[in-house]
Amino acid sequence: MALFQTSSDNPAAQKSTALAVLSVAFVLVWLFIAAFPFLWTAWGSFKAEGDFFSRADWMNAIAGPATTAQTGGAFTLDGYRGAWIEKEFWRAAMNTGIVTLCVTMISLTLGTLGGYALARSGFRYTFWILIAALVFRAMPHVTLVSGYLLPFFQLNIWGYLPTTIIVLVAINQPFTLWMLHSFFLSIPKDLDEAAMVDGCTRFQAFRLAIIPVMWPGVVTTGLFSFLLAYNDFTTTSMLLTETNATMIPKINSFLGSTQEEGKVMYAVAAVVSAIIPLFVLIMFFQRQIVSGLTAGAVKG
Amino acid sequence: MARLQLKNINKRWGDFVGVKDLNLDIADEEFLVLLGPSGCGKSTTMRMIAGLEGVSEGEILLGDQVVNHLPPKDRDISMVFQSYGLYPNLSVYENIRFPLRVRRVPKDQHDEMVMRAVRMVELEDFMHRRPAELSGGQRQRVALGRAIVRKPTVFLMDEPLSNLDAKLRVSTRAQIKNLQSKLKVTTVYVTHDQIEAMTLADRVVVMNAGEIQQVGTPTEIYNTPANTFVASFIGSPAMNLIDGRIDGGTFTAEGMTIKGLKTRHSGPVTLGFRAEDADVCEADGQITGPVYSVELLGDATMITWRQGGALVSIKTNKDYRAEIDQTVTGAIPTEICHLFDAQTGARIAQD
Amino acid sequence: MTHKEFMAFIWPSLLAMALFIAVPIISVAYQSMFVEHEQIMIETETCGPFGCTPEVAVDQDAMRKVREDSPAGRFNGLDTYTNSSHLATDEITEIVATSENFGEIRDRIMNLPFYKALIFTLSYTFIVTPLVIVFGFIIAVVVNSIPSFLKGPVIFFSLLPMIVTPLVGSLVLFWMIDSRGVVGAFLQYLFADPSLSLKASPTLTWVTLFVYGVWHSAPFAFVVFYAGLQTVPSDTLESSMVDGANRWEQIRFVVMPYLLPLATFVALMQLMDNFRIFEPIIGFSASASATSLSYLIYTDLREAETPLFGSAAATSMLTIIGVIILLLPVLFRNAREFNRKA
Repeated sequence: MALFQTSSDNPAAQKSTALAVLSVAFVLVWLFIAAFPFLWTAWGSFKAEGDFFSRADWMNAIAGPATTAQTGGAFTLDGYRGAWIEKEFWRAAMNTGIVTLCVTMISLTLGTLGGYALARSGFRYTFWILIAALVFRAMPHVTLVSGYLLPFFQLNIWGYLPTTIIVLVAINQPFTLWMLHSFFLSIPKDLDEAAMVDGCTRFQAFRLAIIPVMWPGVVTTGLFSFLLAYNDFTTTSMLLTETNATMIPKINSFLGSTQEEGKVMYAVAAVVSAIIPLFVLIMFFQRQIVSGLTAGAVKG
Repeated sequence: MARLQLKNINKRWGDFVGVKDLNLDIADEEFLVLLGPSGCGKSTTMRMIAGLEGVSEGEILLGDQVVNHLPPKDRDISMVFQSYGLYPNLSVYENIRFPLRVRRVPKDQHDEMVMRAVRMVELEDFMHRRPAELSGGQRQRVALGRAIVRKPTVFLMDEPLSNLDAKLRVSTRAQIKNLQSKLKVTTVYVTHDQIEAMTLADRVVVMNAGEIQQVGTPTEIYNTPANTFVASFIGSPAMNLIDGRIDGGTFTAEGMTIKGLKTRHSGPVTLGFRAEDADVCEADGQITGPVYSVELLGDATMITWRQGGALVSIKTNKDYRAEIDQTVTGAIPTEICHLFDAQTGARIAQD
Repeated sequence: MTHKEFMAFIWPSLLAMALFIAVPIISVAYQSMFVEHEQIMIETETCGPFGCTPEVAVDQDAMRKVREDSPAGRFNGLDTYTNSSHLATDEITEIVATSENFGEIRDRIMNLPFYKALIFTLSYTFIVTPLVIVFGFIIAVVVNSIPSFLKGPVIFFSLLPMIVTPLVGSLVLFWMIDSRGVVGAFLQYLFADPSLSLKASPTLTWVTLFVYGVWHSAPFAFVVFYAGLQTVPSDTLESSMVDGANRWEQIRFVVMPYLLPLATFVALMQLMDNFRIFEPIIGFSASASATSLSYLIYTDLREAETPLFGSAAATSMLTIIGVIILLLPVLFRNAREFNRKA
């Protein structure tokens, strides 16, 4: 749109230098607020605790005198070594890998089928299913967990990865259904109707006409399913044991056990380790994330 | 006072030339139509006048002030957009009042001015509706009302009729012409529809590929097109254009000969004539051949031949009938012929 | 699509939601009517070198048996809802009867755990949500106006606070605002108060959590509004320019009305998400000054010896009721629209 474009020769878009400088300054401040904490923490994770949490001078975190004194170098991998090896963070990372992968795959499979059905059926109950999904989407996860816990103890299925995976899939369904439902609405009905006129059953039409064109929407939805599973703390912390915990509950458990000097850096290193995959994710899928965030909005 | 001058206007986007060296002098109270196919630079020209696009080179003078760098709000103009650009959250009344509000016209004059505009565009019964509750024609009139609520130096209209159905287009066209003559405001009107151009304009500017092809009254444009582009763009059906050679006043092309053309020019030329100027005849015609198609237009019958790679049409009496492939002869008198240079397409004057 | 085809496609999804969302809600409702078994005490004698002393201890065998018989505990009706750690009806009556003035009533109610959590949850929800919308909008408008080669990187970094795990994000900030951390140290320097700590005062803790909330969610609003800005109808925008609107009036009369539906969407999402605020309280170790409904449930379930299922369930039920009240306007609007279309 023409508003506020900065092509300088357009009189409609002209703005005073002051305003232009102000906008750039504002953006820089925002960038600083958004990104600096991460950069700072990533930098600090290679320092000793005495530097990252410096009583004397915050500049220590940059120069790193305590790190040099303790390890001989300006940077140290002690935090990472402690977290990944000593505290077995690798195990948590592996569990996270299994959980997120399974949750994403299963969510998408169920969600694609369900979302397609919701988008193509004109009956009144689709509306009620979507409304129910909206209400379910709003449920604080911990209230659901408080419903699971006792039955899971009774059935003796508490503390296993598959249980957590299924629970996360279910918690994820309302969102997945909404998103894929609005995505399938944007695929013209003519496509599957033409396939059915040509002799397909409904399922064949879905398989042959819809599946080939649905990937952009599925990838976008998948990103959000991934994020939900990856970022979950409530469910995983309550449903998994110490030994098969995923990364986020594991980080939380570090906080309890890291009062002594040095150990808090394990948590810092673990936190940075957990951020990196997200960083990579945004790098590769920025466009999909943005379009996914707005997809729901367009449908209102 | 409201003379509008464009001096050596150029518009470039990178390497792409949108408008090339355009000069126009638009008199006060004149109704000027910019006509051309899409992408010819006519809308760009209008947007530069409005201040919605920057000018790469040249000067735009409104009155005697150079307005190149003024933002739209500081140019005393009003504009009707192709898809109207109404404010969906405001009522018809508030839409029309909007320019008064943002241009800080004293509040106590608003109601009078808005009501005058509302009456001129006949929207009294719809004042409190939102644009979404109006038909296309009504929306168009809201846009028109919003443009005339003030008395600006220049009205700009960017294809205002193209979203209306054919019938409404005719009546709204008349309304625009009437309003302009009442309000006496310099108007620049952009269209790709030659009938709109012919009916509305005091002067028509025909544009193609960013350049002016011809400026003139509708009659001049129709009667003496400056080049093959104008010739083929104006008139319905388009002027017949036949490539051939001329020698000693005799034009020859495949299957046709026209003698006695008053020119000393010789070599390859393009000959043009309008279907409505020619007629079929029994014998001694200039074109003879099997008929390609016969179309009944109601007020006339149109006979078409294949001539070389092109089609040649002649309009004749509405009761005339012929079969396809039947051999028919057409008369093309020399008085109706236009000659154009085969290379440049420029008009070749005849004595 | 026939009913049969519809079911064939949707049943796995429905089953998952029924089993793991609907049934748990029923399970919560059921559990909330029960409390833990009373401890069965047994008297034993411990004999030492100085003679035998009678000692009262929990009879583990008997407890195990009772728990197996009725795992949910014993029936308690709605008493859990009204006890002092939930709605605290008796306490409220007493507080209202014995307090001098409104301020005292407020202070004393704030000491009741449920109300303390409820008030924080509501404050968080209704302070952070509008701030997120306002900041998101401002960032979107400004980012839209900067040179386009900057836009990509800006969006990239803007997404970080939103995408990142809430617990991780709050830890990152928590470490920085620690009095030994960079921001904490800077604030001490700024206010020339070496003892200043954001963790010490309840008010500052609340403010910190609100700031975190805005930091975490503003990118979401920003991205939604930014995408909306790309589709503002140019005709309307340009006619406002020609009509004489200045930059602010263009925003006020064209951009804002156009983005209003998006703002509603962001508000709805934010209300839902902010109402369940939980992880930041853990990340910021803020539970002394600020607890939320979700946090109450979590601590009940985390009770070391025996999880307080009944208490957690009652809080859960109250939370669910809160969510539904929050959503009612949306539900009504949707139902009305659907009926109009049908």
